[in-house]
Amino acid sequence: MKLGTRSGLVEIAFQVGEALRRNGVEAVLSGGGCAHFYTRGAFRSADLDFILTGPAGHDAVEAAMTSVGFAREGDRYVHPKVRFYLEFPRGPLAIGGDWRIRPKVHVRAGARLLALSPTDCCRDRLAAFYHWKDRQSLRVAVAVAARHRVNVGVIRRWSEQEGHVKDFEEFRRELAKTRVTIRSRRRS
Amino acid sequence: MKVVPRSSPFGSATRTRVLVAIRLLGETYARELARLLDAPLSGVQGALQALERDGLVAGRSMGRTRVYRLDPRYFAQRELDRFLERLAEPEADLQSRVTSLRRRPRRTGKPL
Repeated sequence: MKLGTRSGLVEIAFQVGEALRRNGVEAVLSGGGCAHFYTRGAFRSADLDFILTGPAGHDAVEAAMTSVGFAREGDRYVHPKVRFYLEFPRGPLAIGGDWRIRPKVHVRAGARLLALSPTDCCRDRLAAFYHWKDRQSLRVAVAVAARHRVNVGVIRRWSEQEGHVKDFEEFRRELAKTRVTIRSRRRS
Repeated sequence: MKVVPRSSPFGSATRTRVLVAIRLLGETYARELARLLDAPLSGVQGALQALERDGLVAGRSMGRTRVYRLDPRYFAQRELDRFLERLAEPEADLQSRVTSLRRRPRRTGKPL
């Protein structure tokens, strides 16, 4: 299916993910685009960041992007009919000091997308909250954790290693409050 | 006097000088770095952009100024910090320039 003005970020992510796979490029969706994916649009991102994790070079990325209608413009790829843009930040794929990241494979309508797992997406957003005091990122981390099964133990241990135990406690409190709100909404 | 680093392990001398200076200053901006390193502003801006792309530094906008610091989310941040600390040790001139830089707050209107 061709991308157009009505294509949503998730549809684009799958088409791009599949084009990358076809061209032998290993790249993992991360950042705000991944948060958008897991919050089903509750948090909106304007771009998709794919971290290159394999040995594929610039030519393979270029071929993959051209096959779905994206063209290079400076550091990013843009599409004439799509409002979202793509970037390929340099790796390694890491969240704070943890570089042992195992991406999650998503398949939809025959298209494959590699993305951070919900737990890692949550940690990715929490890193911005911990290090930049960015409260929007805390809200997004909570939104991801409230909608998906995340490994809170992994997040806690990583938070300890990053030296942000107090901030992790705040995340846990916010998550508990959000879960109560969601439950009460479902009952009413 | 131009501050010349003794090594340039980050791809270019300017990048290395910029990184060492950021390590010493904590948070800074392109114009301050250019003044401190006695380097052309465009060269410093280019180095900052390259370092940002590599994930070594992170910038955020404060009004019209882009403020940079070492990216605390970089996966080898602790090791990078220690390495830059070591690289800064022989840079006596850079250290002295940083020391002479006034960065503490000053009440608005208070005469210098």
